[in-house]
Formats: sequence, C-alpha cells, structure tokens
Amino acid sequence: MHRLSLKIVGAQGQGVNSVGEMCAKGLKRTGYCIFGYREYMSLIKGGHSSYQLDVSHEMIRSSARLVDIVVTFNHHGLEKNLRDLKPGGIMLHQTPRWKFKKSEDLAFIAEQKIQVIELPTEEILKKLKAKAILGNVLITAVVWALLGRKKEELEELVREQFGHKKDLLAMNLTCIAEGFATREVLAPTVTLSLPEPNPQWKDHLLLTGSQAMGLGIIHAGCRCFFGYPMTPASPLLTVIADLQNQSKMLVKQAEDEITAAQMMVGAMHMGTRACTATSGGGFDLMTETLSLSGITETPAVFILAQRPGPGTGLPTWTAQGDLHLAIGSGHGEYPRLVMAVSDSQDCFDLMPEAFNRAEEYQISVMVLTDKQIAEALFSQQPYDQEKAEVRRGKLVTNVEGLKALKSADRYAPEVSDGVSKRWLPGTDAATFCGQGDEHTSDGTSTEDGQVALAQMEKRMRKMEALRGVLPEPELFVVESGKSVVSRDEPRKVGSDDASVDVLVVGWGSTKGPVLDVLESYKLEAISHKQSIGYLHYTYLWPLRTERFVALAAKAKKIILIEGNLTGQLGAILKQETGITIEHKILKGDGRPFFFEELSSLIQKQL
Amino acid sequence: MSIPLSTSGPKMQDYASPVPCTWCDGCGDYGIWGATQRALVGLGLHPWQVLMCYDVGCHGNGADKMSGYRFHGLHGRVIPLSAGAALANPRVPVIAFGGDGASFSEGVGHLVHAVRSNYQMTFVLHNNANYGLTTGQASALTAQGQKMNSSPNGIPEETLNSMDFVFSLQPTFVARAFSGNIPQLTEILKVAIKHRGFAFVDVLQACPTYNKFATHEMLLERCYDANKEGHDPADLAKARALATDTSARIATGILYQNEERPAFHERLVARQGMTTVPVDEVGIVDMSEYMKELV
Repeated sequence: MHRLSLKIVGAQGQGVNSVGEMCAKGLKRTGYCIFGYREYMSLIKGGHSSYQLDVSHEMIRSSARLVDIVVTFNHHGLEKNLRDLKPGGIMLHQTPRWKFKKSEDLAFIAEQKIQVIELPTEEILKKLKAKAILGNVLITAVVWALLGRKKEELEELVREQFGHKKDLLAMNLTCIAEGFATREVLAPTVTLSLPEPNPQWKDHLLLTGSQAMGLGIIHAGCRCFFGYPMTPASPLLTVIADLQNQSKMLVKQAEDEITAAQMMVGAMHMGTRACTATSGGGFDLMTETLSLSGITETPAVFILAQRPGPGTGLPTWTAQGDLHLAIGSGHGEYPRLVMAVSDSQDCFDLMPEAFNRAEEYQISVMVLTDKQIAEALFSQQPYDQEKAEVRRGKLVTNVEGLKALKSADRYAPEVSDGVSKRWLPGTDAATFCGQGDEHTSDGTSTEDGQVALAQMEKRMRKMEALRGVLPEPELFVVESGKSVVSRDEPRKVGSDDASVDVLVVGWGSTKGPVLDVLESYKLEAISHKQSIGYLHYTYLWPLRTERFVALAAKAKKIILIEGNLTGQLGAILKQETGITIEHKILKGDGRPFFFEELSSLIQKQL
Repeated sequence: MSIPLSTSGPKMQDYASPVPCTWCDGCGDYGIWGATQRALVGLGLHPWQVLMCYDVGCHGNGADKMSGYRFHGLHGRVIPLSAGAALANPRVPVIAFGGDGASFSEGVGHLVHAVRSNYQMTFVLHNNANYGLTTGQASALTAQGQKMNSSPNGIPEETLNSMDFVFSLQPTFVARAFSGNIPQLTEILKVAIKHRGFAFVDVLQACPTYNKFATHEMLLERCYDANKEGHDPADLAKARALATDTSARIATGILYQNEERPAFHERLVARQGMTTVPVDEVGIVDMSEYMKELV
C-alpha cells in the first residue's frame, strides 16, 4: 500500500492542530483516506505536541512510526523529531539561520539523505503585513505545493472558512500564493509523492472517535449526558456539550464523577436514556454506583476512556489497561456487559446497542474506548442510519399493561432470563421500591437467605441470557499464497468456514494497525505460506468463546496483541477456555501500535 | 345499587404499606414518615405521581414502609440520584431523604452543588445529629465534646453550623421543622414540594437510643414557629440570623423562600421552548445534518 506520512510538531498552542486539520480536510476533499494521530502533553501551553497524518488513496487505519515530512514550528522539533524521518525525508522548519551542531545529527542527515528546508515565515508575514496566525496558512500552502497538489484546492478550503470575512479571505489567499511561490524558490525539486487520488474518499466524514461517539450517543436517543472532565473522556463531553443546542440534549457537568454516575442512574430510573463518560480514576469513583445499579437493576451506560494508569499515570496517552477493571469493578457479584469500540464506525454503531442492551437486560453497560480512538482522526463513510433501532426490553408503557402490573412484578425472580418487568415513576400503576438493599420481588428489603439467593440467581441469569445473544468475535483474514500486494479489504468470514494457520487475537484500538499490517505487502510476502486471521473481540464480558476455541484448535500459532503489559484479554480467554496464548505482543508505553512496529513484531512471531 | 365513590383525590391509605415500621420507640422518623404522607395527600398527589429517594440510614429503612415510587440508593448519594431523576422528568415531584451523616460528611459536596444548581427537588434532612444505624457514631452535627461510639473521649472536632453553611450557598428555600410537630411539618413539606427549585427542609428529630444531648423533650421545649411570630420568609438576612442562632430558642417554619431564581432545568439554553421532557424524547435521532458539518 502506498502511504505517505506528514507530521506537524511544535509547542502546544502554536498552530500544530490548525495546520494538521487544514491539511487533513484538504487531502480528504481531494480524494485521500486520512488517519490522524495526535500526541500532546498534559499542560496547556508550551509542551511539545504533534499532529500526524497518514495518507493513502486506499483505506488506512494506523500511523507510521517514520514519516515523510516533519513540519516544525520551533527549534525543538528540529532536534526532537529528526529521527522520526524516513530516509530521504523532509524537515521543513521556521527557525532562522538554524544549523545542526551535534555530530550525530549531521551524520544522520547525511546518511539518511534528509532534506532540511528553512521557511522564513516571519520574514514573509512581515512583508505581507499579515498577522502571525496566517503563518498556518502559509505553512499549509508550502506543504500543499510539496505534495504536488493544486493551489485551487486550498483556496476553496479557505474560501469556505473565511468567505464571509472579505479582508481575511484576501489575506489568506495572498498567503497561499506566497506559499506556492516560496516553495518554487526554496525547494523547486523537492516533492512528496502522493498516489493518484480516489474520489470515493471525497464524501467521507473526517472526524475524531470522540465526535463519532458523540454522534452515536445522540443517534441512540440518549437525552441526558452527565460528565466530569478527565482526559481522554473530556473531548466527548466537549463534543456533546457543543452539539446541545442542536440536539436539545440535557448536558450537565457535574461536581464529580460520583455525581455524574448517580445522576445518570437517577435519570435512567426515571425513564430517559442517559450516560456518563470518564477515564480510569474517575471510573474508580463511579464503581459503587455501578454496583448499586446491579442490585436495583437500573439500566446504565458508562463510557470508560482508557489512558495509562496507575494513579494519574500518563494523562494524555493511550492504553488498554482497564479491561479487568471494567469486568471486575464494583463490590459484589452482578451481571454487566463490557464492550469495546475500535474505530469511528464502532463509536457510532455500538452506542445504540449499548443503550439497547442496558435497557433490555436492565444492567450496566461499559463501553471501553481509549485516548487513541478518542483523539484519532478517521475517514469515515457516512453512517448508515437505517441500522439502529430502539429496543427497551420489558419496559411497560401502555395503559393496559400498566394497569395489570403488581408491585411484585418488578423483581419477580421466576423469569427465566432474569429480566423482570420495568416501569417508570409517574406512570399510573402499582408502585415499587428500586431497592439497593437485598429485597423481595416488590423491592421490600429482606435478610431472608432463600429470598436473597433467589434474587442473586435471578440477576446472574441475565449473564447467560446475554451471552447467548451477543455476537461472536469478528474474524478478518487475508487470502494466503499471494505474491503481490493484496488490495482487498480483509474479508469477514463466517465462523464455520475458517481455519487459519496464525490466529491473531485482540480488541479495541489495536484493530486498526493489525488490519493495516495484515493487508500490507511486506507481511504477505513473508508469510505467503501461512494464512493469517485476526479475531477481534468487541463484546468482552460476558465472553463468547466458541469461535476462538474452534480457531485455536486448528491454528499452528496464536498471537495475542494488546495495549497493556499483562495480556488482559488473554487472561480472560484462559480463564474461560483453558487455552493459554503463548505468544504475546504487548505494549505499556502509552503509545499506540505503529504500523511498521507492529508489522515487524508480528513478523518476528511468524 | 352502587354508590359511586369519589376517585379523584388520594387518601392516606393509598400510601399504606404492609411492611411494619422498624424504628425505635420514640424515633423522629415516625413523625417525618407520617407528615410526608399527609403532605402528599394534601397536595392531591397519588403514590404513582411521585418519586421518593432514600439515602442509607435508619430513615432509609423507611423506603419500603410506605407506598409510592421509591428508590433506596447509596450512602451519601441521594441528592445527585434525585437530581438526575428530576432532570429527566421535572413533571414528577422528587423528594430526597437523607441523614446528617450523609449530607454533611459523606456527600457534603452534593449538597453544596444542589443548592447552587437549584435543581427542582425537595431535600428532607433527617437531622438526629448522629449516625444511628451504625450504632451512634458522631456526625459533623453532633455537639462537640459528646462521648459517642468510636469517640470515647468525646469528639474533638468543632460542630458544623449547618444552617450557616446552607445559607452561605444562597439557597432558594430553607425550612426547619421538628419531627414532633407533624401538622407544621406537613404544611412545610407541602410548600417545599411545590417550590420552584431546591427546597432544603431541615427536620430536627430525636434519636432516643443514641442522641442524649438533643432529646425530644429538649426540642419540644425550644422549638417555636417563627412564621406564627411574624417572620417573613422573603427576608434573607433575618432568615439567616434566625436559622443560625439556636442558643435560646430554635426557630422553625419556612425561614426563607425565593422563587424568582429559575430552577436548573429552566436555565438551560438548549432546552428553551421544549414542550417535552427527556423521558418523552427517547428515540432514534436523524444525524444527516450533523454529518454534513463533517464532510
């Protein structure tokens, strides 16, 4: 696959994101698939940050470790990001009269044939009498010229953004012209080679995982959102809050995570759809409420956006370290559903399902995401809006049904699937107590051992009922034996027709890089005698294991890939199936899996 | 021939529960329990029309001692739970009950923000100045120096002046009552439940088993109805002074009320002009317009 990687670096607040976003939008509109990745530090101004775009005319879902061009806003990037460049890469900088002094840097530049280009941004802006902020457009224009793209494409973009401000638009257009002219003077022969665009990407959405999840939550009919800021869940709170005037959703920033969780459960008990979102530490505070909703059988939806712990950990980096937390959190034993999103498609599609399952089974649903998904930029086919439906399970709302209810229907333990009828305060029916103490069928508290056991068993029966209806993990395979690049998407195949030599198992955000690696020519050529399949777990608890067991029995090798240090999914699979996955690719440095990195780690295992 | 009976208004027996009360003889919870039912009947509210939420404690054991939609949640968290419920459906009156331990220690932050946010709900403080159900430990409202369970040498901390604290938060409704005066408490609760915003009702009650310093007899002797003595609930400065100074007598009644300040949900710009409430609105939302912005 032909992929090109651009990395924009600088101090936070210098314009890294503006240039990144402009390039991303422009390239997508031109007909490229974009995968964007942000790194930043947990401070407001000054920390070294980056915005990387990986670009292709084909589907691309991961970031490369090495890039074709680094655009740096300050001299720190010259030194810090020099080794992010591929051989022959371009270092475009704006530090007047910069000279590399360290001998190892000079040697690296010479050996790797790095092209260092100084863009005299300040001087140009001074000449144009343009404000500093216009430097972003100037830089973007230079990059655009290096990419061999047309000036008009960029002009259209600024026209759209500044069309209503005549003077500003004129200045933007001037900067674009100047950018193209400057490139002709500074680096007429330097180019970044892009493949031919593919118009299919033009109409795709360009959005972050948080935006995708926000749309999914609104689409699902969630009407109340209770949050408390904590990276990487805060971007979702921002998205939901910024859309509230359009969605008319009730959005509340609570005083703490306990409040957010309690408000969500209160709102769900009253009968709307509500959710809350947080990261590990905030989720820890929510877990008593999670346990409460277990015994009161109140539907609840928790978004758990992972970052590396323990403690405050690495606040602005990524991890898949909270799977066991989600499965084991909260005191006592009670049913729950844990699912994980992997990309912008899941972020949208799984939200209606999270609410449906929460209401159908009257349980807490935890949706795991992570910093990588929350902040990554995806090229997303416009969402199919016909797929989602509202399923509210055994909620009684019709007058006749309500009239027939008895208080003891609420927690009637006889139900085979463990799910009894539910109805809402304010509806004309027999009343009950949503009871956090162990209780009889109408919510009267009890300490009777037999009644307590019947209620415990009733609730836990939901897990088996749920396990029976959840989808098996999804299998992706690339056909084996091909000596040329496979341009096909990995095919989804049914559980009964597959047998793979190498079975890769994972969940969450590792899906993107795994699929890109599986598709790549390199791996295909090396492994042409082995068929490889990737088994991706979306639903993690209760865990379905039939497909995994069947594939594992035939596979010559199983490789576990997870963004944590202990192999948490592997441990659960072992617990549930007895199968030990010997080969593990694990990561605990807060970074996502990069394309070449994962490719070489998988190859070593083959 | 059958004589048609009026079915319009609720009756006390509608709120009856087959579960007998389990509080100690002389517990103030009985009075609050009785006055709550009387207030709801007095307001013409049927059991299915209200939601009552209970914290954990002796009072919380009352969650199944009367009819109505009820929720018995976690210790210290009854306020945010109730606020969430009230935001989801402001048409249903929500009454939260919590003790002084839950409200001034475990969940004190929630009280602060509920007053500040002015959620549409009533909060009834079961104020017996100790942790009863866990067998008599000191709360923040226990008198300093008292020997309590787990404080054999008397409690070293200063006693929190709860009323001064609440008034510092700019409340819109503050009342104080005594659980032994059921008719007055009933009338206070009726006003509180109808109040626009967060109604704080501090009910002083005896804990005959563990509270030896503020007994039923002491409260009976000291409490007086300030409204009957001419106190105007619109007078904030006077209300605060009356509420905080309990050295000689204890002022009860509706001490302060201000309905000019909108409740939280009324202030939300995004929800202006909505004729529905969030519980009415659950359904798939078309995202076409949202997606256009992202191409």
